[in-house]
Amino acid sequence: MTGYILKRLVSAIPVLFGISGIVFVIMAMIPGDPATAILGSYATPENVEKLNRDLGLDKPMVQRYFIWLGNMLQGDFGRSFSLNRPVLDEVFDRFGATLILAGTAFVLCSIFGVAAGVISAARQYGLADKVITFTVLLGISIPSFFLGMMMILLFAVKLRWFPVSGMWPVYGARDLSTLISHLILPALVLAVVATGVIARLSRSAMLEVLRQDFIRTARAKGVHERSVIWRHALRAAMVSIIPVLGVQAGFVLSGAVYIEMVFQWPGVGRMLVDAILKRDILLVQGGVVFVAACYVMFNIAVDVAQGLLDPRIKT
Amino acid sequence: MKLLKLSRRAMLAAGAATALALSTLSAQAQTPQDVLIVGQIAEPKALDPAAVTAVNDFRILMNVYDGLVRYKDGTLEVEPSLATSWDISEDGTVYTFALQDGVTFHDGSTFNADAVKFNFDRMLDENHPYHDTGPFPLSFFFSAIDSVEVVDDLTVRFTLNAPYAPFLSNLAYPTGLMVSPAAVEQHGAEFGRNPSGTGAFKFVEWRSNEAVVIEANASYWDGAPELQAVVFRPITDANTRTAEMLAGGIDLMVEVPPVSLSQFQGATYTLHEQAGPHVWFLILNAKEGPFADVRVRQAANYAINKEAIVNDVLEGTAAVAAGPTPPAFAWAYNDSLEPYPYDPDKARELIAEAGAEGAELTFFVTEGGSGMLDPVAMGTAMQADLSAVGFDVKIETYEWNTFLGEVNPGLEGKADMAQMAWMTNDPDTLPFLALRTAAWPDQGGFNSGYYSNPKVDELLEAARAATDQAERARLYQEMQVIVQEDAPWVFVANWKQNAVTSDRVENFSLQPSFFLLLDDVVKN
Repeated sequence: MTGYILKRLVSAIPVLFGISGIVFVIMAMIPGDPATAILGSYATPENVEKLNRDLGLDKPMVQRYFIWLGNMLQGDFGRSFSLNRPVLDEVFDRFGATLILAGTAFVLCSIFGVAAGVISAARQYGLADKVITFTVLLGISIPSFFLGMMMILLFAVKLRWFPVSGMWPVYGARDLSTLISHLILPALVLAVVATGVIARLSRSAMLEVLRQDFIRTARAKGVHERSVIWRHALRAAMVSIIPVLGVQAGFVLSGAVYIEMVFQWPGVGRMLVDAILKRDILLVQGGVVFVAACYVMFNIAVDVAQGLLDPRIKT
Repeated sequence: MKLLKLSRRAMLAAGAATALALSTLSAQAQTPQDVLIVGQIAEPKALDPAAVTAVNDFRILMNVYDGLVRYKDGTLEVEPSLATSWDISEDGTVYTFALQDGVTFHDGSTFNADAVKFNFDRMLDENHPYHDTGPFPLSFFFSAIDSVEVVDDLTVRFTLNAPYAPFLSNLAYPTGLMVSPAAVEQHGAEFGRNPSGTGAFKFVEWRSNEAVVIEANASYWDGAPELQAVVFRPITDANTRTAEMLAGGIDLMVEVPPVSLSQFQGATYTLHEQAGPHVWFLILNAKEGPFADVRVRQAANYAINKEAIVNDVLEGTAAVAAGPTPPAFAWAYNDSLEPYPYDPDKARELIAEAGAEGAELTFFVTEGGSGMLDPVAMGTAMQADLSAVGFDVKIETYEWNTFLGEVNPGLEGKADMAQMAWMTNDPDTLPFLALRTAAWPDQGGFNSGYYSNPKVDELLEAARAATDQAERARLYQEMQVIVQEDAPWVFVANWKQNAVTSDRVENFSLQPSFFLLLDDVVKN
């Protein structure tokens, strides 16, 4: 197992180098340079040239890439000029917020998704199955930013049960209950689509397992039906459900961008959107590399978990 | 059956938990008394006035810092602030300021002539030990300064390399706000996150993408503010900002989107409007193509229905512009100027005279940008108006930064017209940078449409050198008449900045400078 994990970790290195190269080239190629973004209407060629020099952007592209890469390998991601602080400080601050949001949404969609899938499978073509299938398809089809706006209008503006946006109260105590009240709406909205996907795929995974001989054996020897479904069948189905959860974790993380915009959650997705609009090259590059590294690590963890559940996969 | 029971039980439990959670949360608390929560449009870049360029940042800075001079309430005219008086030499190149005695920065250090010198040297002198706390993108506002001398502790003298009339109003601009030298020395590059000024409010904390908090400076030299604290929240999404205002999460909201204005009718809210030094125009390519002919440029001014644009597209958040200078510069504005009326027949006549019927026009439109209002919808309306008088208009749309990269180097070979908007602090700035012959793009200016009129050049040069405001006003007013006649631009709109306050907020008014001044505001 250790060998397998090591091999996967080594294979992640070229992936990360590739990402660093791609994001660097994209940022270098998109039209509009940081100096123009900063100066706005005052961007005379003369001012732009002076500011680019002050920002160290007058060097050739290849040289800039290696300076950036070299600094990054030493743990220095540079300074964001649109926020005037070290990139890594900002990314850590913001990534924490995203993890809280995406993590909560992931827990919600895993629990509700798997539960809904199992219930639908157990009651195939029954009323529960039909209701769940309908709800799930509806959830998958509504764009999450629209659902978010509607939830804000209903629960925050009309009913005033929850705050409209943000992560903490702007003024006053910041404790767990205030965090939860800010977290409920965005986490629910973010979880909706993933719940639907997980429910659909869990349902088919369960149906497949339920047709197998060992289930019939279990039923024949008089095992309680609840135990057959939740213990025998679900455990076997988990092997095909876990990779789905892994993929959905990625979707939840990337879907957080929209949700963070709508709910003004101070996460890494909103940070990247702002950074791109302001042409904050180092913040975009550092942020993307950091998020990509986390994503790669997460995939490795999912693979390892799957290997532990199903010894046949280990190679 | 067992399964259903289980799910029922689970649902019951979940329902109970939710109900419990809701009851503990109760209704969202109102914002506290004497603490004003302001909904801003974006995260500030830094709280170092020399390092920032955006109105969004200025809205915070103007409450934390003071400059040597400031704009008189409700105008764009300069009055004393940290400087009590000043003296301008006969030739307009030496400015001597007498400073307030006994003013201290928030960090306890003293404001004096040395501090003033430090501020300008830091921005302008590349060898200054703290020049590396920049870059200072707007330092060219002060590029006329040759030297800053400390005459005595409370007297400071600026020597300019040439007479430069906008100097005083540039000092009133946020780039001229005075920062504490001691704080810059202590924090270096982190000063922008640890600001210290002499203003009505002291900086407390900045939580990234959540809030900037400032609290009252009880010993403010100009009288302590009424509020206990102000919290600036960045809410980048306009719909969410509107929802926060409706839900009572913020007390003051700036830049209300035109489509949301109707939500704030009624007694619970006050809608504030203030015309500012903003002008929205179309740059016409006067060098080549149909707009090289002045009659076709005038025709475009007649053809576009500006009333419809400001009333229907912008929902009354702007007024029709008459010429290149916004009316907010009251002292320099020419009242006798009437906007080009909407007259498609007159436009067709002029086009026929010039033989430009059916000309193909390339029109650069931006998706949005600083001061651009609703550029795509406005662009589409203009395209329709121009088609109605026989032009064939092709729109090319660009993201803002890309757009500036296309337009600023000049329209030659690329387009016949482009959208543009400017907000300035002195009537000199825009025409000097965008209408003179010496401001063509190849000479580092913003005259992207290559307009040239030696008389206008002469008037603008003379106005910059004049030190008497009445004389400057006369020169600008003459310039406006000529430029309107020459029509290098289609003069479209002057934006009225807006804001909404809740009924708990009193004594608030918007300034024509677009700054947000909160030291007299009361919240009940």
